Amino acid sequence: MEQYYGLFVYGLSLFTMGGIYAVMALGLNVQWGFTGLFNAGIAGFFAVGAYTQAILTTPICRDHLGCYGVSIPLAMLVAMVFSAGVAWAIARICIRLRSDYLAIATIGIAEILRLVFKNEIWATNGPRGVSQIPKAFETLPAPWNALAFLAMVAAAVGVIYIALERARSAPWGRVMTAIRENETAAAAAGKNVESFRLESFVIGSALMGLGGALMAQYLKQIDPNVSDPLTATFLVWVMLVAGGSANNKGAVLGAMLLYAVWSASELLSTRFLMLLSSDSIGALTHAEAGEWSIRFAYLRVFIIGLILQVILQMRPQGILPEVRPKPHPRRGGDRAPGITQGRKSS
Amino acid sequence: MKHLLSAAAVAAVATSPALAGEIKVGSVAGVTGPIAELVAPIVAGRNLAVEHINAQGGLLGGDTMVMVLADSQCDPKAGVDAGQKVVNVEQVVAIVGASCSGATNGMVQSVTIPAGVVSISDSATAPSITDLADNDVVFRTAPSDAFQGAALAKLAHDAGLKSVAVTYSNDDYNAGIAKVFVSSFEAMGGKVTANQVHEPNKASYRSEIATLAGNGAEGLALFAYYGGSGITIIRNSLETGSFGKFMAADGMFDISVIEQIGAENLKDNYMVTQAAADPENASYKIFAEAFKTTGMDPAAPYASHGYDAAFLIALAIEKAGAPDRSKIGAALREVANAPGEVIRPGEWKKAKELIAAGQDINYEGASGPVDFDENGDVAGFYSVNTVGADGKYVMEFLR
Amino acid sequence: MMEFLNFYLIPGVVLGCIYALGAIGISLTFGILRFSNFAHGDTMTLGVYITLSLIHLTGLHPLAAAPVAMAVTSGLVLGMDRLFFKPFRQSATIMMVIASFGLMLMIRSAIQFFWGVQLHALQPGIARPWVLFESFRILPKHVLIIGATVVLMMAVHLLLTRTKIGKAMRATSDNPELAALTGIDTEQVIRATWVMGACLAVAAGVFLGLDTHVETMMGFKLLLPMFAAAILGGIGKPYGAVAGGLVIGIAEELSAYPWIGTEPLLPPGYKAGVAFAIMVAMLIWRPQGLFRGRQF
Repeated sequence: MEQYYGLFVYGLSLFTMGGIYAVMALGLNVQWGFTGLFNAGIAGFFAVGAYTQAILTTPICRDHLGCYGVSIPLAMLVAMVFSAGVAWAIARICIRLRSDYLAIATIGIAEILRLVFKNEIWATNGPRGVSQIPKAFETLPAPWNALAFLAMVAAAVGVIYIALERARSAPWGRVMTAIRENETAAAAAGKNVESFRLESFVIGSALMGLGGALMAQYLKQIDPNVSDPLTATFLVWVMLVAGGSANNKGAVLGAMLLYAVWSASELLSTRFLMLLSSDSIGALTHAEAGEWSIRFAYLRVFIIGLILQVILQMRPQGILPEVRPKPHPRRGGDRAPGITQGRKSS
Repeated sequence: MKHLLSAAAVAAVATSPALAGEIKVGSVAGVTGPIAELVAPIVAGRNLAVEHINAQGGLLGGDTMVMVLADSQCDPKAGVDAGQKVVNVEQVVAIVGASCSGATNGMVQSVTIPAGVVSISDSATAPSITDLADNDVVFRTAPSDAFQGAALAKLAHDAGLKSVAVTYSNDDYNAGIAKVFVSSFEAMGGKVTANQVHEPNKASYRSEIATLAGNGAEGLALFAYYGGSGITIIRNSLETGSFGKFMAADGMFDISVIEQIGAENLKDNYMVTQAAADPENASYKIFAEAFKTTGMDPAAPYASHGYDAAFLIALAIEKAGAPDRSKIGAALREVANAPGEVIRPGEWKKAKELIAAGQDINYEGASGPVDFDENGDVAGFYSVNTVGADGKYVMEFLR
Repeated sequence: MMEFLNFYLIPGVVLGCIYALGAIGISLTFGILRFSNFAHGDTMTLGVYITLSLIHLTGLHPLAAAPVAMAVTSGLVLGMDRLFFKPFRQSATIMMVIASFGLMLMIRSAIQFFWGVQLHALQPGIARPWVLFESFRILPKHVLIIGATVVLMMAVHLLLTRTKIGKAMRATSDNPELAALTGIDTEQVIRATWVMGACLAVAAGVFLGLDTHVETMMGFKLLLPMFAAAILGGIGKPYGAVAGGLVIGIAEELSAYPWIGTEPLLPPGYKAGVAFAIMVAMLIWRPQGLFRGRQF
């Protein structure tokens, strides 16, 4: 019984983290899927959101800014606003860059932001990070606290999903698609391409900031390692591309699925080793299994890389490819949708 | 679809039955990530303890103790996830780990404190862990780094140094020690001519060194991981002739410092403190002898702390009489702290018999007496290490 | 003055040489295959570990072992191209970027699996500098690195200007559609690009290993500065990449020089940000790079 309860709790944690990543993947979908903006600095906006949440709500301020006593929901709102503000400032200068160039500029900016969070010790406690961050519903008894937190994350994902689906089929969304597919034509049709791109960038980044605010609560501890580009930028990209870019369902699915693979693959490799060293098989002694367990940790990363390659090659448009909004059939609708066309960066 | 797939994955994990006669303990460590090379010997230390225990009768009625490794990557995200996996899926009785302070802080606050699972970290040294309201489930065999900075400052002072330049790598561990070192050294009347942070993992530090050497200092206090920036800084300093005397803390304690810089270059001018056991201490000697069979250096930072953490958990399970999470915390203090018959590393059989006979025991670990205070911390014990003519460290225990 | 030369300029030049060699490969892949190759840094690491194993097996000097490692690494890289990049030749850039990201993880974890994570030295011990004119100090290995870089650069120059494949590479980088129309074998050009990029990356990695030490993250840590160098020089412009590498390397070191007063101009904690700041500024104000590379 205990074991099933444990699996249930672990399942909650998978869905919670998957949901937080889904918020970020939806944000990236606004930028990349809808508008074709190659933001490779997700970690930067995520970190702005996470640190805003942490500093505004944490009641301890011996080592960093804090003790503002802001309530959790208000802090989440402010975190989104701050991320949006930073995104706006960056977009003002960078938004006209195309494709890979925007990607590299945003990587650079995200790394600079990370250096700021690491070096401005008076504000962020530097590498030691902020601890004891208040978490919504944490005073409820278990497992209701975890369930309530998951419900909050799920509600965020749901609201964002519905809003984005509406936006996608609204004129705003169709202009975005037009910009993605053929910017010159969109401009010729009298659309202010640059301001649309800017809107998309700011909205997407605000969602990434919300992801950071949720993550800070969930972990109760943040430090500069949390905005490591590997797990805070690239993983989100992998989720979106694997799930299906320009498809909001795909973004959510990709986030849930990839996070589950990321996390649960370790359980499988542990089980495999334990099986090998069990008395019935005995291929390895317990001591050897201990030595191998470290190497298996490297192997797991290798296998994650391999799974990614397989998904990319088997389903280049993602698990759920883009579906154009139905009510407004487009002329020339026989063109292959999604990312295999019209996105070549030359 | 996602439900199906993740359900399938969970089912695959769940249906693999817990093997009878095994008691699982979580082993959470940053095996991948920025300090992977430091973590490997620590995990080996933990595994060695388990080997000793299983070879001498196992836990309770002959159950095998199994360490379930989970990767905390030195990142709170991964630390929380690793905690979730070992606590909820693997249903471990207690946890050794995590490695880095950030990952440990995340794991204990989000998972193990709410779940009431005891964790003993063998290498998280952040003072902030002391402050947690933890219902007495968070312990560590690694001393808070507040102690080590002070120990090194006193050492520098006693060596007659009047002025030093300080540089530290921009990570939680080294920044913490440097802070304590500077305030302690100044309190003793020493002068800190420069105090500068550096970003680890750069290819060269010559320009930083030039600035540090600018105000004239008798030595350089270097707080860094040897792999991240430490070796490069010593190499650059010697090559440019900027500094000739180095003080360092245990992130720098590794034989590869001597191998790469050369013993002849470090003789008489390099001293490094290490959270260590007294090498003359019987407990340490037993551990060191046994650890050599793994092919790793017994003096590797926190390897002995890893051994002690794993051994203590086993003793607590034995004392509690059942693999029952809720009883481990109280049992831990009983077996770790005086009074009681002294138990040393490797003496599992003896401990088991004493516990069975209802006698009190007191584990004296390889890393020190490991007596937990009310916060679950241990007092810091340090050695100072210099480079001998044979290219090995010469260790002197600080008393 | 001498202090400036010894502690800031020379180290900057050495670092710049290493960046430059790595950046050439990134710039060429960017120009010819049209994507940012995130696996480039780890290709470098792979080459260094192969060199390390050769040294352990044969006792050769690192510079003698490096050419063999270059050949092995080139072969491996061609295999990776066949498996992971070729299926996406006609797809969007992002597919190759993500594929390279996956490959980066795979190469690094394979290195950690086979070689472990301990540090290694290509040449143990420290070298005392040669002292010239009383106070000018330079390390023998730095002379070696700078000299070898110059030789490699000249080889690259000859290859690109004097050989048929080199000319085809430049043509493809400048205008791929036109190059394909004139009958250039694109696949052959791509293979040549991979081989050249891999060889130079191995050279850069071995130099870095000689200057510091060998560890599994060494290539990844250089990745972003190398990108910055490639962009600064102008995408698809190998000479630009060289200039970009030198500028970034020197700028990083000089940012800590006490230009004003006695304090470093920039706190050294921000040193790593210099490359990014230059890169972003360049993208915004002169996206074609110093040397009029292709603008996307």
